[in-house]
Amino acid sequence: MNFSLTMSPSDLLLLLPEIILTAWLCLILIVDFSFPRLPNEQLAYLSIAGLGATLGCLVWFNIGGVTGALFANMFVLDRMALFFKMFIVGSTMLVILASIDYVHRFKFFRGEYYFLIVMSALGMMFMASANDLLSVFVTLEFSTFGFYVLVAYLREDMASNEAGIKFFILGVFAAGLLAYGISLVYGETGQLVFSDMKLTEVTPGLAIGFLLIFGALGFKIGAVPFHSWIPDTYHGSPTPVTAFLSIAPKGAAFAILLRMFFVALATFKPIWVLLLVAASVLSMTYGNIVAIAQKNMKRLLAYSGIAQIGNVLIGLAAGTKMGNDAILFYLLTYFFANLGAFAIIIAVSEAIGSEEIDDYSGLGRRSPFLAFSMLIFLLSLAGVPPLAGFIGKLYIFIAAMKEGLYVLITVGLINIVISMYYYLIVVKKMYISEPHDPSRIRVSGPIKAVLYVCLAGTLIIGIYPQPFTDWVVSATMMFSGLVDVPLTAIPPAVINP
Amino acid sequence: MLEELASTFPILTCILFLPLVGAVVLWLVEDEDMVRISALTIALVELALSVFVLLRFLPDSAAMQFTEHVAWIPALGVSYHLAADGISVLFVGLTAFLTVLIVIYSWDTVRHQVKLYMMALLALETTTMGVFLSIDLILFFVFWELMLIPSYFLIKLWGGGAERHYAALKYVLYTLLGSVFMLVGIALLDLNYHQWATLHHMDPSYSFDLLELLAVPIPLSQQILIFWLLFLGFAFKAPLFPFHTWLPDALLEGPIGMAVVLAGLKLGTFGFIRFSIPLLPDASKSQTVVTVIMVLGLLAILYGAIMALIQSDFRRLLAFSSISHLGFVVIGLFALNYQGLQGSLLTMINLGFSTAGLFFIAGFLYSRQQSTELRAFGGMAKQTPVLASFFLFIGLASIGLPGTNGFVGEFLILLGTFKANWLYGGIAVTGVIFGAAYFLWYYERAMLGPVGKAVKDSLKDLHPREMIIASALSVMILWIGLYPAPFLRIMNGSVQALVDRVDRGAMPSLESKLQIRVD
Repeated sequence: MNFSLTMSPSDLLLLLPEIILTAWLCLILIVDFSFPRLPNEQLAYLSIAGLGATLGCLVWFNIGGVTGALFANMFVLDRMALFFKMFIVGSTMLVILASIDYVHRFKFFRGEYYFLIVMSALGMMFMASANDLLSVFVTLEFSTFGFYVLVAYLREDMASNEAGIKFFILGVFAAGLLAYGISLVYGETGQLVFSDMKLTEVTPGLAIGFLLIFGALGFKIGAVPFHSWIPDTYHGSPTPVTAFLSIAPKGAAFAILLRMFFVALATFKPIWVLLLVAASVLSMTYGNIVAIAQKNMKRLLAYSGIAQIGNVLIGLAAGTKMGNDAILFYLLTYFFANLGAFAIIIAVSEAIGSEEIDDYSGLGRRSPFLAFSMLIFLLSLAGVPPLAGFIGKLYIFIAAMKEGLYVLITVGLINIVISMYYYLIVVKKMYISEPHDPSRIRVSGPIKAVLYVCLAGTLIIGIYPQPFTDWVVSATMMFSGLVDVPLTAIPPAVINP
Repeated sequence: MLEELASTFPILTCILFLPLVGAVVLWLVEDEDMVRISALTIALVELALSVFVLLRFLPDSAAMQFTEHVAWIPALGVSYHLAADGISVLFVGLTAFLTVLIVIYSWDTVRHQVKLYMMALLALETTTMGVFLSIDLILFFVFWELMLIPSYFLIKLWGGGAERHYAALKYVLYTLLGSVFMLVGIALLDLNYHQWATLHHMDPSYSFDLLELLAVPIPLSQQILIFWLLFLGFAFKAPLFPFHTWLPDALLEGPIGMAVVLAGLKLGTFGFIRFSIPLLPDASKSQTVVTVIMVLGLLAILYGAIMALIQSDFRRLLAFSSISHLGFVVIGLFALNYQGLQGSLLTMINLGFSTAGLFFIAGFLYSRQQSTELRAFGGMAKQTPVLASFFLFIGLASIGLPGTNGFVGEFLILLGTFKANWLYGGIAVTGVIFGAAYFLWYYERAMLGPVGKAVKDSLKDLHPREMIIASALSVMILWIGLYPAPFLRIMNGSVQALVDRVDRGAMPSLESKLQIRVD
């Protein structure tokens, strides 16, 4: 394998967003060390400014159609990578905004908190562009590294420490799986770049290799059976970190999954569809059923997140361009609804110091705005029209039905009903139950801003989805030539109603 | 059925969103009395708009009228397409009419969180209108699902019963369960269209539009599958026996206003006549489908009537009587002939006056005795003669006495059913007898005879607001009963087109494609 290290300025241009963010990371550290008395809001706004510049650059690339590949195809910048980078940068900005109130809980290293978040975002931006197995490994570990620290950031809190340890041990285990899988695939093919693997037949080594890689990525997105870290880690982590963890890495991991399945493994679709169907059914059913019993808001969203990922996997199992459009669209709707819900958890726990569902009693009277926003976000997550979540689910279901995955659809639809049940429990607490303490809850400015953005996103995507569908359709243009492999290898039980 | 008459002014959009906008405006109003007055004004304006549409509606025409068509999600083929035709336009008027009455009824019977109640009620009106006016299946589904949100809160927050939380959740989950299956059916229709469209290079390649879906043939096996999927959605909502278990709970535990909407507006059976029968004519007339639905319908008639006979609570009795009436509607629909379809459609409208009217009566009784249990009444006619007379009159309409609206509808249904099958008709007739029995027996025990222990001397008769409600309903009942021609003329064209469609089957016809392009 040859690397040409001569880079022209136009090559560098492709890396501009990452370069900006790297420079900004250094700036954040320098400012933090040089001005120890700087109030931490300032540092937050500084980080947001840097991310804003990065986002601006990405938008410019997207409008200008700047695309290309670097380092012998290890790093690609196509419209899909741009989509996920915007997804990641956008979520990072909102998470930092939502963190401003929360950061005072950290006794030490408040500045480094922002640094670590932006660093993870940088890692995930690289993930969105990773096009070969080595860069997958490096970028994935790079982004997870920041999270290992962030999850355990509440040093005095046992739950946070427990979350950190669990996340670390299981994360390292997943990294081991990934490395082992990569070595097997490389051993079988002699190639690392997805698009160079001209796979013709399945050998045991290849199958095990890709299964291991899928396991490592499944760990990232939290699909059953790789989900076991999610509830405790979500519960114990500082809430903004949980919000971040529940959105950005999932987007980045889906970028890799899409490249892996549709570039390297496109010809084996009949085989991996089965794998995805199984993972999807398990995730949806397990996530939703266990969510019913939850007493803690963060755990509820953790399990509902597992179920939501099951829904996204339906789109992946469809294995078509339309399915991929639907995945991107669904992630977008999930982004706003989930982030919004977590922002409310932050606001409520700031005011009453609790994240138990029972303490949401009477929220409708204590803070009509928070309760109404929560209602919108939960209904969007449940897929109630005309909110964003409904269009997302519709998109995914239609894509899957076109491929005849009726069993999967039926399971998915029954799960919607189950999920409605536990979302309604929260709604009931907020609007029907008597408050334990009738005092009003004040919402701080930054949280309000996050909620406005998320509300706008959820409502606009639901009511006027056309610009967003156009966007995702153009973002997955690279898959328009997908080879349609007939689903003959699938047993009739799966494809026939 | 496929012709479209567009209107220059988007009147349907106004009808659709006026209550919602009104609900938002109500939010800004502080004073409780002002809230009531504003809500009434909005409901009256809405009624005026609906009456205007009814007056401007071209009778004896199968055309989709006042259409509005804008692309909504082009990537999926979803459009914002509204229209009124002979099947839906009467429901628009009925919804507006009942909402006005509910607002009047709720004037002093709803005492806490009046503003929220009125907002929920108006939001509910928008979603109901949306269900009746949507021609695009996804748009229809959106409103269908959205209905659950105001309904959930109405039952839960203003319900009178102790079990209202359970009833609200049960209602939402049952309907949702049905509608997810319906969504699969809708998606299958879309995909069938997609296959045909790609094969024939038609544009757009995805569509949920009723009119465009009608132009595409659907293989019989596919039709039957889709039929049952849609059936589940409509049957849960209607509710058809044996999917009815949520209804008695919701009607008993929820507020009277909600019960009027649930029992008065037959959304589920409307779904059959709007979508199932025209889109899937071959499945609708296939032997198994007809037999299963007829048997379910007849079971519903008998089960509902017998259950109603043994109820001591008037609202529970009404719940079962409405299950029984729905059985009539369904057998009329699946007789699949002109009389049956017309009778069913008219009966759906009639029930909006009679069953809903009886729920208002139940409300009047409830606000006097704080109960609708039989033991709270007895010999009420001596204390409250006016209430008792209206009770009797509306009740007789509901059992189909000649001269009232119930008779016309039920007669047509029985005629259609006899034409289709003697046996079904014969069984259905017994339902009429049961219907008379349960109502008259209850009436006798509650209103006539010796004055009950719980009935106090201080009991007041109907006050003016209640008089308005009862007389408005009675006028409509008499009008349809004595001179149904204007209503039948409005339906005629669409019903005839529907019958033709069922006879012809779902084979593609080139001229129907050409007709669509007329707009």
